[in-house]
Amino acid sequence: MTDRATPTNLTLGFLTVLTEAGGYLGGYLVTNAWGRPLEFRLTTSVQPNRVQEILYGATLSEYILADLIGKTLIEKTATQPSLIVADTAALLPLRARIDVPVIALPNDKKTHADALSLKHSRAKQPILYPVKFSDDGPRIQQLLDAVDQAVELSEPFTRVREAITEARKMGVTSRAA
Amino acid sequence: MPPEGLGPLTLQSLALPALEGGESFQTIPVNLDLTPDVVPVPKFSEQITANVKEARLLSHTPWVRPIGKLEITVQTDGWKFPRPAVEYSTLAKPAREHPDRPAGRQVVNLAKADDPNARVRTRPTADHVLFKDRLLYLLQPPLDGLFDGRQLEVPFEPFPYQLEGIAFLMPRHSALLADEMGLGKTAQAILAMRLMFHQGLLNNALIVAPKPLIHNWCRELKLWAPDIPHECFGGDTEERRRMWTVSNCPLKIINYETLTRDWEIVADPKLIFDLVVLDEAQRIKNRGSKTAQIVCSINRRRSWAMTGTPIENHPDDLVNLFEFIDSGRVPPDCPPKQLPGLTSDTILRRTKDDVQSDMPPKMIKDVEVDLTPAQREAYDRAENDGVIQLNELGDTLTVQHVFQLVMRLKQICNFDPLTGESAKLEQLVHDMEEVAENGRKAIIFSQWVEPLLVIADALKPYGPLQYHGRIPQQERTPILDRFKNDPDSHVILMSYGTGSVGLNLQFTNYVFLFDRWWNPAVEDQAINRAHRVGQRHPVTVTRFLTENTIEKRIAGVLDAKRKVFNDVLGQADKPASLGLTEGEIFGLFDIQSRPKRG
Repeated sequence: MTDRATPTNLTLGFLTVLTEAGGYLGGYLVTNAWGRPLEFRLTTSVQPNRVQEILYGATLSEYILADLIGKTLIEKTATQPSLIVADTAALLPLRARIDVPVIALPNDKKTHADALSLKHSRAKQPILYPVKFSDDGPRIQQLLDAVDQAVELSEPFTRVREAITEARKMGVTSRAA
Repeated sequence: MPPEGLGPLTLQSLALPALEGGESFQTIPVNLDLTPDVVPVPKFSEQITANVKEARLLSHTPWVRPIGKLEITVQTDGWKFPRPAVEYSTLAKPAREHPDRPAGRQVVNLAKADDPNARVRTRPTADHVLFKDRLLYLLQPPLDGLFDGRQLEVPFEPFPYQLEGIAFLMPRHSALLADEMGLGKTAQAILAMRLMFHQGLLNNALIVAPKPLIHNWCRELKLWAPDIPHECFGGDTEERRRMWTVSNCPLKIINYETLTRDWEIVADPKLIFDLVVLDEAQRIKNRGSKTAQIVCSINRRRSWAMTGTPIENHPDDLVNLFEFIDSGRVPPDCPPKQLPGLTSDTILRRTKDDVQSDMPPKMIKDVEVDLTPAQREAYDRAENDGVIQLNELGDTLTVQHVFQLVMRLKQICNFDPLTGESAKLEQLVHDMEEVAENGRKAIIFSQWVEPLLVIADALKPYGPLQYHGRIPQQERTPILDRFKNDPDSHVILMSYGTGSVGLNLQFTNYVFLFDRWWNPAVEDQAINRAHRVGQRHPVTVTRFLTENTIEKRIAGVLDAKRKVFNDVLGQADKPASLGLTEGEIFGLFDIQSRPKRG
């Protein structure tokens, strides 16, 4: 077995957006290369009104997911990520707003015309990244190679969702709002 | 001149109704060429136009409504966690096969792990009130994953139940790990500590263990936590003072005796440990003992206790343990019925039956032998004379007098004092032939060293080794190594006091209790030197008893004590009462006298 060094400064940002009652709520966990938590951040629930839906039109979803939730969470978090891992392809447009590679692990089997796909042992499913940033491919591969082999990229999302659930129970999300 | 078509000016022609209704206005030419006696008419300060009227209407609700902010905003809240200390960020080698890994480890199943994909995670406890504290544990990666990768060098992956034990310990400031002996409590505690050092949750910790187990702890630490530096307290007082106050070694190990000697240093409020782990914590079951008081006085943030026998005699043992684990949680006079409710969240106890359905069985065989004629004669004489003497003591009789007689009789049950004959030894030699022929190894326990010396002589063909209080400390570990590795050494002779706790002898398959200890918990400890994690074959336990002697009577009392333990930890409604009470000790003989009560 190749014993490759794990860079101690490698950090992974796991980004998810949950929908609830017409609103969107973001959760973001930064871990080291071993999956251990370094920082966690979540957003208040974003609920666009009817006029905003009309005025933002088709750009609403991308605006909320990428600009409003994704970019805000990453910029507000002190720990800079080496790689952003999202659980939906809808967050791939975030790549255009930040200078960090973004990959997505979609649960569906839809084809995404605006995404390229690669396979890696750190993920059970194909890994997507934006076709507009096709140059990220080798860098993503290199970063994933450096992640500890015990880390399965979809696992931390379970933790993030549990943390958001706990936050709701304790009223943290509404307090932040 | 009035405009053409208009008649003379009258009140009716001024269109007053239109002005009063406010619904429509029109500009009316007025002929000002009036006669002076005309009545007053409404006066317009300015000309009313249609544009003015429209502007007023559109500037009022419901015609104009705000549509709100077009900009969408979001707020965030964030939490940072302790960074892994730099010294623990170095790379580990991938998990490897341990050279001594027994094949049996692979087939262990956790009974309740129905979902093969279930992950073992740390969870916040009810004591974690702050969201940040709860988050810290919710966001930790699964423990099973930690041992799969390169981040932790471990000899082999812990069992699922051990992972659950680690997940139990890590979030708790107060914990009692009470697994049955042989399930790897030491490894669980070490791995939990190691992960917490890595996560920055611990900066220093103290392990307190019985003296004979210090070597064992050091060996286990090298195995399970090679990246955590540790040091054992030793040397003279000044050397130890330096270790207490100057040394920044993160993990320190001390035995109970040395800790008691250093009580003045320990009492220093500036000396604070993030965690104190008590091994064989039943050592502090007597609340008033100096050891218990000093242990409880250590300044600490977390308190973990480990023992396979949290209740040796009486439920109060558990109450007193909690004086260290979580002082104040259990009141000193707590009724046994309330104990489970107060302590259950803090205690984790698994038995081998709970966690390892595939572990080889432990077969207990009570071998009842008849004393040899010489032993019987000596025994009967000693008991009859002894009882007469006890009765003659009258009011001066004490329980110590009875104990002395019990000890005397038990020694005769082992060997005839005149001829050296021993019914037990005859049977033991016979059994050992079979053990050696099968290439197996055995442990023989006795309460005294003298019988062990005699037994060693009788078992010379089987390469006997000795491990008891007369063996110097520095020679003990090499003796255990030799017993493990020398194929010609089939038997090791141990005293209960020295060999019953903490040793890993799972390569042996036979345990002989040449005589019985007073307490079933100590006997269980002894038996579990062999019947523990890693054992691949059935373990046969032979308990020698001599017919119609004090041994049989004591065995009856021991069975009752065992029931006490099972009842309380099994959360029975009505825990059985005491074990060997003073009355029961007197009841071993037909004594009319009783000590005089003040």
